[in-house]
Amino acid sequence: MSYLNQPDYVCYVCNCGSLKPISKIYFCRHCSKIRCGYCVCQEVDSHYCPNCMENLPSSEVRLKKNKCSNCFKCPCCFQTLSTRAGHVPLRVAPADAEDSKDVKTTPKKVYYLSCSLCRWTSRDAGIPDQSMATGGWPEQENPHTYRINTLIDYHKILASIEKQQSEKKKFRPKHPYMQIAMFRITSAMVRKHIGHPTKPTTESTDQPSPAVASTEVEELPTDIFTEPVEVTKITTLEQRLQQPDIQTENVNELRPQHRQLLVRRSQRCRVCEHNLCKPDFCSQSAKFKIQLAAFYHVPEVRIVTCEPLRPGKSSELLLKFCNPTQHQTQVVLLPLDTPMTPILTIVDEKEEVKQDNAQQESESPNLLPSIVRQVPVVEETKPIRIIANADVVFPQNCLILPRRDDAAEYDDTGDTHNFQDDPKFVIWRKGNKAVIKLHVTPHENIEENNNRPVVIGFVMQYRYVNTITTLEHKAPQKLDLKVKLYLTIGNIVGSA
Amino acid sequence: MIHMSCLRSKCKGKFTIACNFYVLCFPPASSPGYIAARLRGTTRSVKMLRTYEGIRFFSDKQMVILDIGSAYTKFGYAGEPTPRGIIRTEIKCPDSKELRKIYNYKDTEDLYQLLIEFLHALFFKHVVISPKDARIVILESLLVPTQFRDTLAKVLFRHFEIGSLMLLSTHLATISTLGVNSALVLDVGYKEATLIPIYEGEPILKAWQALPLGGQIVHEYLMKSLREIYPNVNITEKLVEDIKVRTCFVTTLERSAKLETADAPKPPPAVKYPGVKSINIPGEIREKAFEVLWERDNDNLSIPTMILNAIIQCPIDTRRTLAENILLIGGTAMTKGFASRLKSELLTLVKSSHYSEKLKIQTFMFHTAPSKPNYTAWLGGAIFGSVDLPLRCLTKENYLKSDRVPDWVSLIDNQRDESTVCET
Repeated sequence: MSYLNQPDYVCYVCNCGSLKPISKIYFCRHCSKIRCGYCVCQEVDSHYCPNCMENLPSSEVRLKKNKCSNCFKCPCCFQTLSTRAGHVPLRVAPADAEDSKDVKTTPKKVYYLSCSLCRWTSRDAGIPDQSMATGGWPEQENPHTYRINTLIDYHKILASIEKQQSEKKKFRPKHPYMQIAMFRITSAMVRKHIGHPTKPTTESTDQPSPAVASTEVEELPTDIFTEPVEVTKITTLEQRLQQPDIQTENVNELRPQHRQLLVRRSQRCRVCEHNLCKPDFCSQSAKFKIQLAAFYHVPEVRIVTCEPLRPGKSSELLLKFCNPTQHQTQVVLLPLDTPMTPILTIVDEKEEVKQDNAQQESESPNLLPSIVRQVPVVEETKPIRIIANADVVFPQNCLILPRRDDAAEYDDTGDTHNFQDDPKFVIWRKGNKAVIKLHVTPHENIEENNNRPVVIGFVMQYRYVNTITTLEHKAPQKLDLKVKLYLTIGNIVGSA
Repeated sequence: MIHMSCLRSKCKGKFTIACNFYVLCFPPASSPGYIAARLRGTTRSVKMLRTYEGIRFFSDKQMVILDIGSAYTKFGYAGEPTPRGIIRTEIKCPDSKELRKIYNYKDTEDLYQLLIEFLHALFFKHVVISPKDARIVILESLLVPTQFRDTLAKVLFRHFEIGSLMLLSTHLATISTLGVNSALVLDVGYKEATLIPIYEGEPILKAWQALPLGGQIVHEYLMKSLREIYPNVNITEKLVEDIKVRTCFVTTLERSAKLETADAPKPPPAVKYPGVKSINIPGEIREKAFEVLWERDNDNLSIPTMILNAIIQCPIDTRRTLAENILLIGGTAMTKGFASRLKSELLTLVKSSHYSEKLKIQTFMFHTAPSKPNYTAWLGGAIFGSVDLPLRCLTKENYLKSDRVPDWVSLIDNQRDESTVCET
């Protein structure tokens, strides 16, 4: 896809209202609808370390707090640290010559961490060298962990009490005037009413000691007014926030942090809950298990050339259509206000039955029976912001595109297909591609210098052969699907 | 000064106590049922339940705690002592390709798209969790604009299809980090400083205070003064933030009084700041950067007066407790010398003619939370979120049914529940 880094000239309108180039949309074969990253359900598929590419199961990820245990990042510049080997500086041998021979064994190898970018080393930070390459590096511990755990335990007790209370309420006897209940009400209510904070006399041992406030606060050091400041010795905010529990100010107190794991995402259609895209589990592989990109199913439109555009004047526009599927398709261009319902044309080759569209609309095939499956949450569609500001003369005839044939790409002998094309409409044809000519008239009110590009819009109706039904031992469906397209064809040149 | 959160100030003064939705279970007095349990001596059964709770918590899906601040977002999981990370609350806008702060939204629709982009990055790059059916706790100020709150809930439920949402008040959740029931919580963040006193677990809402004093106004001052000195250097907010964090401080009250007079004290040494173009930051700027927080505005308000005014608006028998339980949270409150300046300002102000009549308080005491102030509110949420309280969560089913978020300003949620009154 050559236009990955280009501005999006040709945009397809997804069912959620987003405008996306064809390289960024999916095609759900089960719903026969276009989906995009905005309207699919994204899921975390697998976790991996971006440095050592190790795959981790999600239970382990949770245990390791979503961090790789082997890879560290530099606390200064956030690059990956590398492990370096060094030697223990040899101790000064005792004066006795015989002893020194014994001491002079092989020098012990030690390891330290170093950043190849900013030259930070664990030795600078005063972290002792390790005898093993794989680690055993001292872990940072939040100094308040014990206190926080006590507080959490206490809150859990309070929550369970509250839960007991609410359960008691549910099984409350129907008679509200039971004597015991009455008494309980009054004592509690009176206490609250008179504003007693009601400290129960017997404090349970579970209650943590409350924090003690003090009149003393951290004073501003007096030498701040006289001592010169070396900025490079003070950590930046970014460096501090990498280690939130310490947030040290001194560069030397920074400690290497474990590298955070990244995830691979899988996409699922929200309506039918089928996977649209599922990456390979292996983190080194760039393949997909499932990849229902629209690029493989929907005809691709590219702009070939366009004559200079003048307001109110007709210009020629050449568009190239490409059929990526294994079946012959026919493309019809329709005006923007065409209703978007798909038409199921042929179910079986023999009996051509026009089925009711409504059924197809409401009931999309699903993985799960309707009882198990959740009701899809409806999100409002995005309004389409782009406005077409040029008129297009739509051709009456349809364009037939043969199926994609990889072998034909290398075949220079010319086409064996014999299409009865109108030479005014179809300019060029090769394999599964064809170039057509359209006449575009930009609106008169567009001026040259207001930087508004000329946009045309049309509905492309294409024949799609749904082979997913063959899995259920049915004949493939043939559908006439429609997709809205907006093309930015250029800027106005000169005035009318 | 007219303030953003005044949007919701129509109810100012009407609510001495918040509706039940916001009341934490933590303080014994706030939950009458809890007292009844205490009186019947149920502590034994509690201990039995505790181990059971522990097992259940681990097998459950982890709860995600988010504190979406105006400058930085703190995220992590419930029951952990430290947030997993702190990131800027900004995202690259897919249309214009520029980095935008979430809180600088234009309208509801703009906010909706920004939040989708931001939360998507947050869920898949930072928190790394599938948002579908996740349980999420969000910390929010009681003064957050309704528009933001509703849009956030809509994005979470409609776009990300989360399982349940618990909205916790920042000020109220913060006190669970202390283990006390009453505290005067002052949050000095990026956009504004907000204060809500909590007494025996109830937020005293009529005494709320909010002023647009925070990191942003300090940045504006620094940007203005540095641009005057270096008109040719591109002074961005990011640069200014770094200069502020690394070199500036809050000066003492004595020095501040003399700053603008003839016998100004000798300024602290200038700092050479390296960069593409090395700039020299004069000592005056370093010292004066935070002065804007302490200067009185047209209404004679500043950060110390917020505390005193709040105390005055509280019932007389709560005042002493509140003054002796002050907790400072928010990133700006971490500045060097902030707490000591606040203390000396308070002690001076209390003796002034304006307050000495109304307020007979002599001592102010400050708490230290087991965390850094910039994520204390998050920690409060993490402690509170570690307990399993399905009744306090807004589930997906309930949200989709009613299509709204319960809110303390809304009368529908403030109706007196007859059944609970009978029962307690």
